[in-house]
Amino acid sequence: MTARATFALTAFGLALLALAFVLQGAAADPVWLIPRRLMKLAAMIVGGCAVALSSISFQTVAGNRILTPAVMGYEAVYLLLQSVLVLTLGASGLTLWGGSGGFLLSILFMLGYSLTLDRWLFRDGRADLWMLMLVGLVLTMVIGTVTQFLQLRISPGEFAIFQSAAQISFERVEPWRLLVSTILFCVICLAGWRGLPALDVLALGRDQAMSLGIDHRRAVRRLLMLIAVLVAVSTSLIGPTAFMGIFVANLAYALAPGAGHRLTLPMGCAIAVGMFLLAQLMVEHLFDYRTTVGILVNLACGVWFLALMLRQRSMI
Amino acid sequence: MILLTDIGKSHGTRAVLTGITARFPRQSLTSIIGPNGAGKSTLLMLIARLAEPGSGRITLGGADIARISRAEYARRVATLRQFPAIELRLTVEELVAFGRFPHNRGRPTAEDRRATDEAIAFLSLDTIRKARLDELSGGQRQMAFLAMTIAQQTDCLLLDEPLNNLDMRHALRIMQALRSLCDDLGRTVVAVIHDINFAANHSDQIIALKDGRLHSSGTVDQVVTEAGLRDLYGLDFHILPRPHGRLCDYFTPKGEAG
Repeated sequence: MTARATFALTAFGLALLALAFVLQGAAADPVWLIPRRLMKLAAMIVGGCAVALSSISFQTVAGNRILTPAVMGYEAVYLLLQSVLVLTLGASGLTLWGGSGGFLLSILFMLGYSLTLDRWLFRDGRADLWMLMLVGLVLTMVIGTVTQFLQLRISPGEFAIFQSAAQISFERVEPWRLLVSTILFCVICLAGWRGLPALDVLALGRDQAMSLGIDHRRAVRRLLMLIAVLVAVSTSLIGPTAFMGIFVANLAYALAPGAGHRLTLPMGCAIAVGMFLLAQLMVEHLFDYRTTVGILVNLACGVWFLALMLRQRSMI
Repeated sequence: MILLTDIGKSHGTRAVLTGITARFPRQSLTSIIGPNGAGKSTLLMLIARLAEPGSGRITLGGADIARISRAEYARRVATLRQFPAIELRLTVEELVAFGRFPHNRGRPTAEDRRATDEAIAFLSLDTIRKARLDELSGGQRQMAFLAMTIAQQTDCLLLDEPLNNLDMRHALRIMQALRSLCDDLGRTVVAVIHDINFAANHSDQIIALKDGRLHSSGTVDQVVTEAGLRDLYGLDFHILPRPHGRLCDYFTPKGEAG
């Protein structure tokens, strides 16, 4: 199948899913349902694309296919912030300034975390990526423990509210958040567009990329910054996605009609958005809201992750 | 011409290279030889700017290489290290096209496609140009990476153990290709070579390192002597003259076999 045909088929499938999601049972109250669903759809597109782009480019930089930016501690920082907000301000903490306060704070915190980590590790100008990831992983665990400690002090009612913030969900999408996320996302895409060919070269590894004239350290720092913004956008818009990035990236490598990022990135976006649509459709119509998108997505991705580990045991 | 002046490099407190002064003349094939841990690859990495020297100066055509921008340097010097272990789903053709990146920054022109085709033809890889790298043998993959470096069309090529893990046929093909790069295309080639016989029979110049210091350097006749090699490797060598070169025999130490 040619690249064009593959993408045409993918786009067609996505459009069908999106139509099904927006129109299914909409006749009951189209004026109320359809705009709300369109907003959720937009959140899925922005969030899903952010997850796909950040995971694939992160894996390229790391030269490893079973990592996601989540191991760098971004999501742990997000959850820590949410629990601090709930603890100090109560349930209203998450709806600070009409919900947008917490949203902006989350993004700023994650960016701040990324900058600090980067500054500190590159302070003598020669930290390697593995060190960065190791520190990220350790911090994820430390921050996770602190978060758990804080959660013990939250009242059960407020804990339930915190939990809803700790899962993928499209229910809390609001126009304002969506607008800011979309703008940020577009800015990142524009900023990253010019670096797309360089991303392909980075996949050859540090030495080869440098021999081909890429300032490796600068390119990696720039990319990690862009990835941080993408993770911040997706996490604060739809919640932590944990394993999903691995699933999306690896499926994209398998299904894309070639190895270049020009092909894998759009394929990854399509897979992430399609997955959100499928999960949301199942939650609404098959499980009747008895389960959540987060649980379905994590279940599917968890199983996939295990299978990947078993299949590629020798390559880890 | 590449000129090294009093190069030193240390990892922590351990000196890897000390006081290396050497020159790599234009349009010649220089082999860097020496026992394991002598600092051969480190020296090559310094010339390739994959690492920075602790002391000393490296110049390319009279200019300090540290002052040349990395993008510009990639148009003048191409480097091939041992190929990366990560699985690449690229075809040979796609990989070779990466060699044009320093010239087109990812936007290929007709000129780039011609250079890619030439590099593929130069190593006779036409039959596998559409094959994916992960489907190829180690030798073919090494040839594909070399083709990428050739497509870069730089005056100077640096190769880190290009014959590693290759069978005799592939090793000879690569060595002949390097020779032809010098003789027919006027390139300067510097290669770290472990096989003393390949180095002795195909180089214009040899630089021998031992314990991070320059052991000896010069033409093949000057460096490849029984006394010199014995001192370099701590092995007894028997150098047999041949009509088109020489054979360095270290397989059967003196006295044990005829």
